Amino acid sequence: MSRRVHPAVVPAQPFHLATREAGDGPVLTTDEGREWVETAVSRYPQKKAALLPLLSYVQSKRGWVTPGDMADAADALDLTPAFVHSVATFYTMYNRRPVGRHLIQVCTNIACFLNRGEEVLERFLEETGTHEGEMSACGNFTVLEQECLGACGFATVVHVNEKCFENVTPEGVGAIVQALRDDAAAYPNGAARAVEGGD
Amino acid sequence: MAAEASTTATKAPPAPDTVSLTIDGVGVSVPVGTSVIEAAQRTGVVVPRYCYHPGIPTRPAQCRVCLVEVEGRPKLEPSCTLEAQDGMVVHTASDTANDARQAVIEFLLVNHPLDCPICDAAGQCMLQDYAWVTGQLKSRLDEPKQVMGRDRVADDILYFADRCIICTRCVRFMRDVADNDSLIVAQRGHKAYIDTFPGQDLDNPFQGNIVDICPVGALVHEDFLFKARAWDMDPAQSICPGCPTGCNVTIDTKENEIVRLKPRWNPDVNSYWMCDYGRKRLVMSQRGVRSETPLVRGEADLRQARWGEALDWLADRLRALGSAGGRAIVSADSSNEDLFYLGLLLKRLGVDSTMFTVETGPTAALPGVPKLKLRADRAANGAGAEMLGARRVSRGDLNGANGGGVLIVLDDALEGADQFWGADADLFIYLGTRRPEAARSADAVLPTANFAEMDGTFANWEGRVQKFAQALAPPGAARPAWMVLSRLLARLDDTEQAVNTAETAFDRMAGEADAFQGMTWSGLGPKGAIAPGAPASAEPAGPAAPVANNGRPGS
Repeated sequence: MSRRVHPAVVPAQPFHLATREAGDGPVLTTDEGREWVETAVSRYPQKKAALLPLLSYVQSKRGWVTPGDMADAADALDLTPAFVHSVATFYTMYNRRPVGRHLIQVCTNIACFLNRGEEVLERFLEETGTHEGEMSACGNFTVLEQECLGACGFATVVHVNEKCFENVTPEGVGAIVQALRDDAAAYPNGAARAVEGGD
Repeated sequence: MAAEASTTATKAPPAPDTVSLTIDGVGVSVPVGTSVIEAAQRTGVVVPRYCYHPGIPTRPAQCRVCLVEVEGRPKLEPSCTLEAQDGMVVHTASDTANDARQAVIEFLLVNHPLDCPICDAAGQCMLQDYAWVTGQLKSRLDEPKQVMGRDRVADDILYFADRCIICTRCVRFMRDVADNDSLIVAQRGHKAYIDTFPGQDLDNPFQGNIVDICPVGALVHEDFLFKARAWDMDPAQSICPGCPTGCNVTIDTKENEIVRLKPRWNPDVNSYWMCDYGRKRLVMSQRGVRSETPLVRGEADLRQARWGEALDWLADRLRALGSAGGRAIVSADSSNEDLFYLGLLLKRLGVDSTMFTVETGPTAALPGVPKLKLRADRAANGAGAEMLGARRVSRGDLNGANGGGVLIVLDDALEGADQFWGADADLFIYLGTRRPEAARSADAVLPTANFAEMDGTFANWEGRVQKFAQALAPPGAARPAWMVLSRLLARLDDTEQAVNTAETAFDRMAGEADAFQGMTWSGLGPKGAIAPGAPASAEPAGPAAPVANNGRPGS
């Protein structure tokens, strides 16, 4: 599966499309990374402006952003690591710890809350056997509580990777999780973390 | 003033560079560009504020507690960013404004732990103050509070995330005043907290100021933690003795011990800030063994004496010596009054060589306030000593051989001199706060008060004479040197009088010393005044001292 992007557009991959090819190695300080930083910086009047694309790039290669990546980004853009840290924590879509192959985001904001969103979240945590924000032992699941996923007409809203599930009830959660378990091969980009023996 | 201002507001056409507005029924004219919160302050109205700080240039208007009602405008406006305009009618405490403010405070208190009984800021906390002012003293909250814990942001600064109201004063002080981007807001919304990069604590010579400007108890100095409650401390207005900048400070004491230092506003010297070196040095310099009793030479050894006895003994010896000449060593930590009265004594004794030495150390600058620097000299009153005729020499010259005649040392530590130093003088008098090894040959050791234990003045690097007030009781029988010296002079000369206040001493100095000609104690005011004899080229030309660490890699 490949996504065509215009060469002028920074390939800001969402986490679920991350190749994770970087593993634990450096991203921004490799030859490819350096070249990429140069391209990104050249597109903006200020170096600082390239920070979000840089973090997105890191996430597309690793699946999450490490403190080391933040320091590298700061180095590349003449910023302080602390500033990069503040930006990376401000935007919730940058993962600051590894996430499972299936990233499940449950909205508990007002509309979803009124439609048992918190129960849905509880059920997801039970079904996957994780705490909020942590990765399940097998590397398959991470469940996050989100403030609003922008589909309040269809509360409760759940995002699983790039797919949106609407009108989710606590009773329907088991089926979704089971489908994800059965369909591990549906997300080839996440295959770097192979499913081994289920949860 | 109020009546006069309101006539201006209603009748006289305002000058083109000022605007007139009415705040809570009081008219006021302010320069164009003044914010309403500052204009209100001129009428005596302090609009509640958290994120606004007069010393920080950025105004994010994010705390929403300074909202005021402006007639003719549909919504409340934040007075910190609202520019005063002609004819504006502002109500800072109307029902609408108060309701909005109360809602903001209630919102801030949702997750605030209310641990006031163990919080260092209690009693000086702006959240306490405004919670009281807005009057909602019962919580409507049923849910448990969010608990975030605490963190260390610098080697001596702790951050209590639960107490924090994210006004970002600290972040903006570091970024906009200290030019250091190492302190940031992490996360957002109710999860937001102040943080540094993981593993990288703050390392800036002016970082202690973030504790002072924290409106609540979120940032605290670890060496002050749990030491004193705000209402148990006695404040004294003083001057930091750490370097010639002469930052205005408040010394907070408890049970005759200095517990902390806070900078005091002086636009001509230090604005709202001071450096960490000054903070720590003063607290530390109070430790150690002090000289507490007058000692005079007995048969062989020094023996203790009462003040009257010691001064009588000394006066007899000095009378016998007459105008013997000799040498004097003073300290740049001494006040102008000390140095002046010593000068009077030296003139009687025919001593014309007065010298002092000052240790130097690293410098540091605060980019946002050009005048405020940690300057190299590690003593407050080098300029005053020079204005009163002392000569600055190196430590080696100072400790050099003495001839005969009188040797008088005022509070110099005589570092590096051996224990036989000064033995060749006919009479060796040591006045000081401590008694160094090298003063062993002294014929009289007189204990003096340090600057925190008396009133007096220092002259800073540009010759600005500033008053400081007594914060502590001196230890034992120690007394201010000017007080001791004036009594010694009175014994030698019937026309001299013993002085009991620094004011008397200063006013006499202003009458007799050229450098201070025409100054008066009361004329110094709270901000000090430049002496007529101020050193001409006070600040050595050259590049400004670099910021020690602006937090950016490789700079």
